Amino acid sequence: MKLILALMRKEFIQLRRDPRLVGFIIVMPIVLTTLFGFALKLEPDNVRMAYVDEDTSMFSNLIKTNIWSEGYFDLYEVDTVADIQNEIRLGRARAGLYIPGDFSAELAENNQPSVTLFIDGTMPSLATAMDNNSSAITDEAVTADMYFSDPDDPLVVIAQDPFNLEIETLFNPDKIETWFFLPGVVGILIMQVALILTSTTVVRERENNTLEQLLVSPMTRSQFILGKIIPYVIIALIDFYAILGFSWLVFDMPLPNSHAVLFILAVAYLAALISMGLAISTISQTQQQAIFLSIFVLIPSILLSCFIFPIEAMPSYIQPIAYIIPFTYFVDIIRGILLKGNNFIELIPQFLALAAFAVLFTVFSILRFRKTLA
Amino acid sequence: MSNTIETRNLTRQFGDVVAVDAVNLSINSGEIFGLLGPNAAGKSTIIRLLAGILRPSSGEASVLGLDLFTQIEEIKRLIGYVAQYFALYPDLTVYENIEFYGGLYGIDNQERLQQQLELYDLVQFKNKNAGLLSGGYKRRLAMACATTHDPELIFLDEPTAGIDPVTRKELWELFYQLSTTGKTLFVTTHYMEEAERCNRLAFLNQGRIVALGTPGQIRASLTNQQVYSCEISHNPELTHALMNLPGIELVNQFGSELRIIASTLVKFDELEKLIGDYYAKPFRLTPVSPSIEDAFMSLTSNGADQ
Repeated sequence: MKLILALMRKEFIQLRRDPRLVGFIIVMPIVLTTLFGFALKLEPDNVRMAYVDEDTSMFSNLIKTNIWSEGYFDLYEVDTVADIQNEIRLGRARAGLYIPGDFSAELAENNQPSVTLFIDGTMPSLATAMDNNSSAITDEAVTADMYFSDPDDPLVVIAQDPFNLEIETLFNPDKIETWFFLPGVVGILIMQVALILTSTTVVRERENNTLEQLLVSPMTRSQFILGKIIPYVIIALIDFYAILGFSWLVFDMPLPNSHAVLFILAVAYLAALISMGLAISTISQTQQQAIFLSIFVLIPSILLSCFIFPIEAMPSYIQPIAYIIPFTYFVDIIRGILLKGNNFIELIPQFLALAAFAVLFTVFSILRFRKTLA
Repeated sequence: MSNTIETRNLTRQFGDVVAVDAVNLSINSGEIFGLLGPNAAGKSTIIRLLAGILRPSSGEASVLGLDLFTQIEEIKRLIGYVAQYFALYPDLTVYENIEFYGGLYGIDNQERLQQQLELYDLVQFKNKNAGLLSGGYKRRLAMACATTHDPELIFLDEPTAGIDPVTRKELWELFYQLSTTGKTLFVTTHYMEEAERCNRLAFLNQGRIVALGTPGQIRASLTNQQVYSCEISHNPELTHALMNLPGIELVNQFGSELRIIASTLVKFDELEKLIGDYYAKPFRLTPVSPSIEDAFMSLTSNGADQ
């Protein structure tokens, strides 16, 4: 027992001597708990909805007002049904509403007209949540005033619903759950591999005492950082296609319409991840710290990107965090390419964001690396 | 320029601590120069400054005729640096280590790499993982890695620390071999017998050079001191009494030999009498010529007092 105590004592002392590690152990869970406590909601709100109201009657307004007041959707107007679909395809809207021009006329005739609700089928939580909440549209508050009695027989009230709600799920019409998650999962797996692989690479040189020997050589800091980044980008790329290939084979995931575009964007994503891993490596003193920092980055990356919840559904003060996560952009990219058929031009903002991350983290690593010498 | 290394008031501070304090060195081409000093005297810091991986705080220095402040990158191509620790990749083979470090200097010539294996007696371990080598061979490999680009000047930071005497002797033969081919070697050590092997020495204490010269000059530098030797077993009371005697600089017991470094002002008789007070049996106190270690002890203890 005494011997065990001796070892226990030593472990506690060592842990206490690594203030960063203590920070990670205590601060990290608290920060993450706070973050997720505020950010994670199963009921999305403020989801952007593009609408076309060709009717513009009191009745169509009633439908829109009711949707608005429910708080799930932020409505904005577009010109045509094609525009609705395009807005959703580009990720500017997650849902759409179409009220045809003859809506009130048909309503008055008791012809049970249809209103169409479009849903982005690539957003997992959204598609199910909206299925559940679509009743808001056909709610009694809306329909109460829409019942028209038969002019021939004023006492008979029509029993059926005054209008139909047609739900059209776009880009994943069968709501195949694998397609909700798998493209993003590929991004998560590759993020994990890339971060853990690279975040330890500079620290390991330091722990091995080989760093000093590299510093004394004519190799420049940029050469060092690039020489570290490039091989891991290649390894991660191979890994990425292995996971993707497996998903195509086993889970029947849709193929991209352009492999070249997927490749270019994948390289941008991986370069962002690996330079981020390297940045972590340059600020870590031990491999243990590097791994902790990686996990610290990894978990919010998964939960705060739009992988599960649309960003606009998060509280506004959490949203900026989502935009500094490379994975956020990759989710748009991979769903866009595999499910929505986005082309390169449409994904340029995401590409630029990832490229900016890559450059930023690389420059940071080079600068930071310089500092560790003197 | 004839001098391989030339420094003037080279200084490096870490916060408030002056690790290297106004060091003036002048090292000739082709010599083996030894830097001696107790732990934390600043030996490694000087090497790191001269090898360009630490920036000096002030002073001037040139290495191989190039300015240490403005031409570090040029200097780096021409020097070799063997760190105190084994800067090797344990999971790479001996050959892969040499190949990698050669690659850092743009060397990919197979013949040259093979030459290094032969010169450092590593041929039989060519495909063995570096992590599995013994300490002596790790050191050889570290040297092979640091010299693949055939540097003019080689820094060796405690190259024989933790190495057995036989291997140490073999390593020194290698150093001499390099020296005869015109290479300049800059070695730090705290083994006294190694100090004797150097062409010239500098003693570093608390960041300052306290003595500089050939081993003979260093030994002769104890002009104000006389070293005495006495065959006598350890007696803590005697040691204490001696230390309290004015003019006694150092009392050092080596097995059954007591070595005393005393100011020349201390009289032989006085010393003999004091020892006699504590030691009943007959003994023989003899003045001896100082060794490097005596000089080292004297110089560094003076430094510590100041």
